[in-house]
Amino acid sequence: MVKAIELENVDLSLGRGASRVHILQGVSLAVAHGEAVGLVGPSGSGKSTLLMAMAGLERADSGRIMVDGQDLTKLDEDELARFRGRRIGIVFQSFHLIPTMTALENVAVPLELSGARDAFERARAELDAVGLGGRLDHYPAELSGGEQQRVALARALVADPAILVADEPTGNLDEATGRQIVDLLFDLKRDRGATLVLVTHDPSLAAKCDRTIRLRSGRIESDRPLAAATV
Amino acid sequence: MLAPVPVVRPGFPVILKLALRNLRGGLAGFRIFLACIALGVAAIVGVGSLALALQDGLGTQGRLILGGDVSMSRIHRPAEPNELAFMQSQGRVTGVATMRAMALAPNGRAGLVEIKAVDAAYPTVGAVVFDPPGTPAEMLAAREGIHGAAVDPALFARLGVPLGTRIKLGDIEVELRAGLRSEPDKLAGGVTFGPRLMLSQDALAATGLLKPGTIVRWTYRIILPEGAASEADLLRFEQAAQAALPDSGFGIRSRTNAAPAFVRNLERFTQFLVIVGLTALVVGGVGVANAVSAYVDRRRKTLAVYKSLGATGGRVFAVALTEVGLIGLIGTAIGLALGSALPWLVGWLAAPLLPLPIEPHIRPGQLALGALYGLMAVLAFSLWPLGRAHDVPVSALFRDEVARTHRLPRPVYIVATVLAVLGLAATAVLFSYDRRIAISAVAGTAAVFLLLRLVAWAVAAVARRLPRAGRTELRLAVANIHRPGALTPSLILSLGLGVTLLVTIALIDANIRNQLSRSLPDRAPTFFFVDIPAADIAAFESFLGEVAPGARVERTPLMRGRILRVNETRAEDVQAAERAAWVLEGDRGITLSATVPEGSRLVQGEWWPADYKGPPLVSFDAEIAAGLGIGIGDTVTVNVLGRSLTARIANLRRVEWQSLGINFVMVFSPNTFAGAPFTSLASLTMPHAGSTESEAKILAESARRFPSITAVRVKDALDAVNDVVGKLAVAIRGASGITILAGVLVLAGALGAGHRARIYDAVILKALGATRGRLVLAYVLEYGLLGLVTAGFALVAGFVTARVVVTQLMKMDFVWFAPAAFAAAGGAVAVTVLLGLIGTWRVLGQKPARHLRSM
Repeated sequence: MVKAIELENVDLSLGRGASRVHILQGVSLAVAHGEAVGLVGPSGSGKSTLLMAMAGLERADSGRIMVDGQDLTKLDEDELARFRGRRIGIVFQSFHLIPTMTALENVAVPLELSGARDAFERARAELDAVGLGGRLDHYPAELSGGEQQRVALARALVADPAILVADEPTGNLDEATGRQIVDLLFDLKRDRGATLVLVTHDPSLAAKCDRTIRLRSGRIESDRPLAAATV
Repeated sequence: MLAPVPVVRPGFPVILKLALRNLRGGLAGFRIFLACIALGVAAIVGVGSLALALQDGLGTQGRLILGGDVSMSRIHRPAEPNELAFMQSQGRVTGVATMRAMALAPNGRAGLVEIKAVDAAYPTVGAVVFDPPGTPAEMLAAREGIHGAAVDPALFARLGVPLGTRIKLGDIEVELRAGLRSEPDKLAGGVTFGPRLMLSQDALAATGLLKPGTIVRWTYRIILPEGAASEADLLRFEQAAQAALPDSGFGIRSRTNAAPAFVRNLERFTQFLVIVGLTALVVGGVGVANAVSAYVDRRRKTLAVYKSLGATGGRVFAVALTEVGLIGLIGTAIGLALGSALPWLVGWLAAPLLPLPIEPHIRPGQLALGALYGLMAVLAFSLWPLGRAHDVPVSALFRDEVARTHRLPRPVYIVATVLAVLGLAATAVLFSYDRRIAISAVAGTAAVFLLLRLVAWAVAAVARRLPRAGRTELRLAVANIHRPGALTPSLILSLGLGVTLLVTIALIDANIRNQLSRSLPDRAPTFFFVDIPAADIAAFESFLGEVAPGARVERTPLMRGRILRVNETRAEDVQAAERAAWVLEGDRGITLSATVPEGSRLVQGEWWPADYKGPPLVSFDAEIAAGLGIGIGDTVTVNVLGRSLTARIANLRRVEWQSLGINFVMVFSPNTFAGAPFTSLASLTMPHAGSTESEAKILAESARRFPSITAVRVKDALDAVNDVVGKLAVAIRGASGITILAGVLVLAGALGAGHRARIYDAVILKALGATRGRLVLAYVLEYGLLGLVTAGFALVAGFVTARVVVTQLMKMDFVWFAPAAFAAAGGAVAVTVLLGLIGTWRVLGQKPARHLRSM
């Protein structure tokens, strides 16, 4: 059975010369289709970098990264971008909405970029699904943090990606709002049958995942199913 | 394995939509960009539209300027009866005679006047305005045997006489009955050296000035009948005149070509100003590049979001380019509007002072050209920094970058930048009046630009390697020069180009003025005397010996003649180089000589023997001959004193025109005009520089004793030329000011961009105990050092450019005028320091606590 995500012996460094830092060292893992995986670990352990490598946003120095049957190490930058647009949805900690676009336009962008004719209809439906049907024409500055993250969720899901990656999706939200967002995220993931990989420092969020992978100094320290995991 | 991802490229509408959405954030951060593009485009369109408005004014008012639909003019002889009959068969004819003469006032003062003798029908088009008001008939008629005259009011002052005075002109007295406020046909007359004096043709005949060989221009204006004066009719007239009166020596002009020399000079001047406008656009380009670079930095996150959502680097670049292009369009549109308004503004502000008709219109051609320049400049200066948008890393969304690496953009963007720069240069060359000059200007600008970049890089590199200075202020200044995001490249590039242009223009201007006034005391004559009849030569020379003992007198026969043919080709059909074409247009002074004239040397062929008796020979100026494409053995046919004669070119001379001695393009063998009633031209060179009083005395005495001989004081003639040069210099400096303004804008933009970093420095230093005085000193040192380097470069580059222009294009000696150059360059240093300080003034007032909390 083909895995949703499969990493084999991935090494990744950042910086040049003396300032070069070895971030990921011989990381291997596999994520099954529909699985929810939480990446946990202390700051600087390589969680976000591993997430970016899975999303094709960072290039590995060596090793193989297979996502949804595609070897990302074999794609050039433009092919990676197009792959992301269709197969991967990304949710950022800081939302990263485009400030000059309304909620509707922000959500429609990935579809517009992929040439979809019904971009706005689908974006409207997606915003309805996250409960923002009445906020279509609001700009990010006119929305609360929770609403902004819902828009970001809608944007990540609008193209029906097979993989959903989220970098501390509740990191910039208060506890109650964060809980609502997490519930929404997992509901939507379940409805779409998508695979979810998320980075978090929040034990309750990690606890909702099927499995948690703990990193330390760029290596996998532990990889356990939910029942055995400690965050 | 799954099928490869299908490639679906979003079309331009999507990219445009995204760019438009980005623009909702407003144009903040693009103000300098907009101003730079608008300024450059406005300069180019303004200059072009103004020139066209003037040309159109000349075109539509050509009939007024010419005084008719067609004019026929020649020197020396009025029209013969058969010639006049031809003209009258075509339409209504009026005649005007113009010449130079001396006016002698009862108080003994004398002055050169430009006589215009008109017939009863004058003016057939337009009106003459007299002060006090009246008609030409009233003002010029003879009353009690005394003819009337109307004069340029300047003559009253020059002769020191009031209205109503009777002055002597030739053999008669004329009464000054009116001041001449305006003549409709003034522009067609060309440059004048003295004030106008208008009288009747009867009066002119009575003066006795019209001796055989006297240099007088007879102009006949013909008004074609109603319904037969179309442009085709004008052409038909010209053809009929050439067929009916071949070799008559008349120069024919039509109302569509009323002032060709003026139009040519206007075109040349326009091109020069367009080049200055282009320099402003290039200087502004630095501001564009800075603004786009800052835009890419500012929009990094948005661009990264696009990428994270599936946009390729190319698409991200396309969105950014479209956004910048749209802003470029706005800037260009502002520039087009401002530039188009210039002719109206000039017409409104300067109409009373401008002796030219001006017809402002919207000029679609100029608008298109301005838009092309504007958009090419936007592309040339934004593609490179925009290319970096392609490689904006999405990781920027996950973590702050420690240091942004400003790598070179991908090769495709470098190639595109080079193509856009070449496109801009090609536009400048293709639409220029003289491509040779345009290519030199473009190459010069490019060279200076590249050199300045090199200088900026070198300054930063040297600053980086300097040993640590002992004083904190100096250390801070040096660090500011080389740190990332330093002002160094922007400041040196933007001000460097403008100041180089300023130094160049200052030096060229100083050299032209020097050429007009220098060396006159030792080499140049003090006076020229024209129209000396053969019978008066001996008496006049003895008079000169008497009033100016020890002075050198040179004399040569002088005639005016028009070249009719070169070999068998009609003059108007000769393909002449720009530098020689003027010789074929209108009448030229010609002379004859048994020996090589002083001030010229033989470069090819042999001079004729003193007693040469064979077929007519002519000696030609070598450079003009080359421009006409002729040499030894070729023939020229000229019309002189009513005779057409063909002479063979026997030799070529190199003429030293700058000596201001008597010299001519064409010198004929003496037997060519044997027996012709020509007059002579004499020059008088005083051994020592004469005083104004002694010169005035010679002038007055000459006018009294030899009323038919016209004296031209060289200083007066040069003053007239100097006056024109002065006015042009003002226009050129005004245009160069635009370049400096563009530089200042760029500097302001660069200062704005570095504002945050400066606040950070200032706050930290203040927190550590630095006073505002020490911070000011550090900034003064920084801007002063950069200003000095820029000024030093501008001095060297301006010197080299001015030298090349003066010696190679103008063929004059070059003199280094330190005050002019240093004033221009020193001004630049002062402006730099001042602007820098103004720009950082707010930084000094920042309270550390507020900033430290947010750091």
